[in-house]
Amino acid sequence: MVERKNLSSRWQMEKTKNHTGLVISCLLVALALTTGSAQAASILGEEWEKFLTERVKFGGFVDNTTGLAIGPDGDRRHFKTSNRFIMERFTIQPEFNAQMTDWAKFFISWRFVKEPRYNAEARSRRKSVSYFPTAPVQPLPNTFYDEDSPKPWEAVLDILPTDRLAIRLGRQFISWGETDGLRLLDVINPQDSTFAPPVAPNLFDLDETRIPTWGIRMLYTAIPASSTTLELVALPGFEEAKQRVDEVVGSNDTRDGIVRYGRWSAHPETRLIIAGRNAFGNLYANSLSPASCAAPTIGCLVIPSTTRQLPDAGDNWKIGARITHNIGKLNFGLGYIWGYNPQGADMVFKRKGAVTCSAPVAGPCLAGLAPSVVNLRLVNDRTHIFAGHFNYAVDEILSIPLNTAIRGEIAIYPQEPYNISEFPGRNCATGVLTGFRVGPRCKRGVEDSDSILEKNTLRYALGFDRSILIPFLQDDPWRAFRMSFQIFQRIILDHEHGIHLFSTAEKIKKVSNFLTFRVSTGYRGDTILPDLFVGYDPAGYWSFNPAVSYAPPWNEKIKLTLTAALYGGHNKFAFPGFFSEKDSVFLKMRYQF
Amino acid sequence: MKAIEKGKALNSFGLAARRFFLFVVLLIFSSVNLPAAEVDLKPGDTIGPQNWKKVEDMVGPNLLNRIKAGYSFQIKASKHYTSPKEYVEATEKHSAQVRLGSKGELLNYVAGLPFPKIEPNDPQAGQKLAWNFYWRWLGDDFKTGGATKEGKIVRLAIERDGAERRADLVSYTLFPRTRYMLSPKPAIPGYEHIDWSQIRIDTYPRDTSGTTTLEFRYADPERPDDLYLYIPSIRRIRRATTTLRCQTLAPSEFTLDDINTFNAKITDFNYKFLGEKKILTNFVEEGLPFHRKTGDYLPTDEKWEVQDVYVLEITPKDPGYCYPKKVMWIDKVTWESTWAFMWDRKGEYWKEQFAFRAPVKLADGREVWSVGTVVIHNVQNGRTTLVTAVRSYNRGYPASLWSLATLQRIMRGGSVE
Repeated sequence: MVERKNLSSRWQMEKTKNHTGLVISCLLVALALTTGSAQAASILGEEWEKFLTERVKFGGFVDNTTGLAIGPDGDRRHFKTSNRFIMERFTIQPEFNAQMTDWAKFFISWRFVKEPRYNAEARSRRKSVSYFPTAPVQPLPNTFYDEDSPKPWEAVLDILPTDRLAIRLGRQFISWGETDGLRLLDVINPQDSTFAPPVAPNLFDLDETRIPTWGIRMLYTAIPASSTTLELVALPGFEEAKQRVDEVVGSNDTRDGIVRYGRWSAHPETRLIIAGRNAFGNLYANSLSPASCAAPTIGCLVIPSTTRQLPDAGDNWKIGARITHNIGKLNFGLGYIWGYNPQGADMVFKRKGAVTCSAPVAGPCLAGLAPSVVNLRLVNDRTHIFAGHFNYAVDEILSIPLNTAIRGEIAIYPQEPYNISEFPGRNCATGVLTGFRVGPRCKRGVEDSDSILEKNTLRYALGFDRSILIPFLQDDPWRAFRMSFQIFQRIILDHEHGIHLFSTAEKIKKVSNFLTFRVSTGYRGDTILPDLFVGYDPAGYWSFNPAVSYAPPWNEKIKLTLTAALYGGHNKFAFPGFFSEKDSVFLKMRYQF
Repeated sequence: MKAIEKGKALNSFGLAARRFFLFVVLLIFSSVNLPAAEVDLKPGDTIGPQNWKKVEDMVGPNLLNRIKAGYSFQIKASKHYTSPKEYVEATEKHSAQVRLGSKGELLNYVAGLPFPKIEPNDPQAGQKLAWNFYWRWLGDDFKTGGATKEGKIVRLAIERDGAERRADLVSYTLFPRTRYMLSPKPAIPGYEHIDWSQIRIDTYPRDTSGTTTLEFRYADPERPDDLYLYIPSIRRIRRATTTLRCQTLAPSEFTLDDINTFNAKITDFNYKFLGEKKILTNFVEEGLPFHRKTGDYLPTDEKWEVQDVYVLEITPKDPGYCYPKKVMWIDKVTWESTWAFMWDRKGEYWKEQFAFRAPVKLADGREVWSVGTVVIHNVQNGRTTLVTAVRSYNRGYPASLWSLATLQRIMRGGSVE
């Protein structure tokens, strides 16, 4: 074990060293291109000088985000997260624009991130999620959040063959939909939730948390006057093996047997606690020793051996088509997305193989002395989505001024996969209750070895945006407050009892709702910018994401933001209540160049 | 204690007296028709604290105060522009048929200046002036900022203490139903219902770059504008309402309706023609942007010239509108606004705006005018916004540029051309 650790850290060091050199090289090239155009011209000639000075633009930012956990002492819920730094993230993102011809432009950017992690966090996790002494659970490696790949973050070639046809090739973002803060149709690019907390758009923009994807996007404007546009996207999905999808549960997908949890993974515990330990695996399988569950002992425990399962290259395609059109004041669109669904919230666990023993031989498990192990694969199935959106400006109704923009989007997921279990748990053969809140699903008298079923699901959102003036709250009485209210609803049309979140034992109801409210404004000439985002689930969960930014009046390139991500609810097993002990504050400092 | 109270009383009296004096000055500014013969200025004259009285009715009260406090400048010969012949021909061809409707709307308008002759005694003279301003010659399309050195609009927000922030943007405007030089003429098929459309893109600093608005102004006076906003931080288009036209476009001191001095729907306001006068402006701005001391908004070496203007008072039909009164000084030849003055709901002087002009060339070499640098100063909070926005006209952009598809291909720091 020690040897493996040493090898691992040596490899990490070498990797870091190599990449650091690469980063420095890239920065030097960038610096040379931008600040030394005159020298470059003398080497490259007048044509290049003209091209570099007139047609190439350089921009980007340097950003440092520091996060401090402020949640209560974690002993109650296993995590000691109080009063310690949870984030020290340094990002540098150079960006180049090149106007190559009248009909072709090129944009490229890189993102380099260095984010050291802290021993306190590692110790905490090691203590909290150790299932079994012989296979200690480890925290993520210290370089897990680093990004030092030479691969461009975005690299797009924009081609305009005609006035009405625009083609974008390369690694890009494609965002559909109308919502703010939460994503519904914005499912084409995956989101990296390893560093961004959920429902907290004031900490990191969606722009910063989406992962760009290689592909092609075509926009054809059929009728310009009515903005009638046909859109086609095709993404082959040839991404690298380390696809940074939402790390919302622990997984040991590195073959070293070490369960890893992301910063914003939900608490690993479920409501299943057996022998003082998290019995998450018992959601999906019974132990090899049913007798040990009579008075639950360690032998009743089922350890989940989870693996992230990425689709094969051929299964990774995503294709989408959409038409948008204006009729009077109504703007709307209809679309279809087919292919691999990369969204963390849509993942499910697939059970693979038979239950095994955590010990080298089955004896200790059968005797109730050692926990059992169930192999789970965390997957995103292929999906297809029928999509629609609209927006409409309502100025007045019956001469009453409303001044409100209404927007909405709808997503119909035929046969969306869900995990299902028995609530309460029971012996599948005898039907006798096990005494546990939950257990593996029974199917025709035997334990279901799949634990997944597909349901037709409708999701939609309605948003209302309005700016109002509250003169007595402002130094400039005509500085508006921008307000936004959103309603999200999910309806599982052919709902079944026992469908639950893949990561916890929290059931999903037939209809689930979420509301958000956002208000922002600016003071003192937009030098002080408050922004408040609140999310609320009527079932009793909430999130609170206040932020205040300072943009100094003497330098437009600097911006400081103080923000908090706070969560709560009547239990900690449903979204977003399961982040309730990860309340945090952040200071974000940015310099744009 | 008594001395303090006396002092307070004196201060209070002094404040009241200053307000009364300001009120009188503003009353004079907003209504006096200064005969041309009384202007005693010739090229080469220097105006400063010693002779401020010479220009006291020819500039805004705030600038006058600055002159009294030491600001000085020279007078130069007046520049006279001529309207493009196509515009003049359209005026001659179509203006006779143009009428005003019962709500002040424009009827039978095709192209050119709607009302080439303004009769001072005409009770509708104000409304006609407003429409003339609205349909002044602005080319068939233009890129604001297209003729500056950087190829974009440079905007500076200056605080009372002199702290400055810069922002860059570009703006593209299309007049699809009043085309004088570019084909198709006189209107782009399918666009006859649109007066103008505008796409405005922030390009600097980085975090706001790519933020884009797409706005449509419709010929139907009852139909509100359409406004779409592309937000790069979410990479999506959002719909916005356009009815809250008073909100400050912070960090600038402009409101939506202050763009191009007066960007509102003409039929939403009442107008009063207050007369004609000679004023000081600058129709040939030398530096773009002009030279100035850091932290100050006045040019250090630009010369000013005398021009003839119409004085137009604008009052809103909506009593809740931010400016219960706005006065514009509109140039008699170009119909561009040279000065504008705004009052708040308490009747106190609020904002003062002046705009320089600069000559630019069309593709065929003809000289026309463009806005140069615009300065809006908030006399109440001391903040100022400077915008240098020289236009390049008749670029021949396709109409499809002003569509939602354009918003979806914006990149940070990139362009749509």
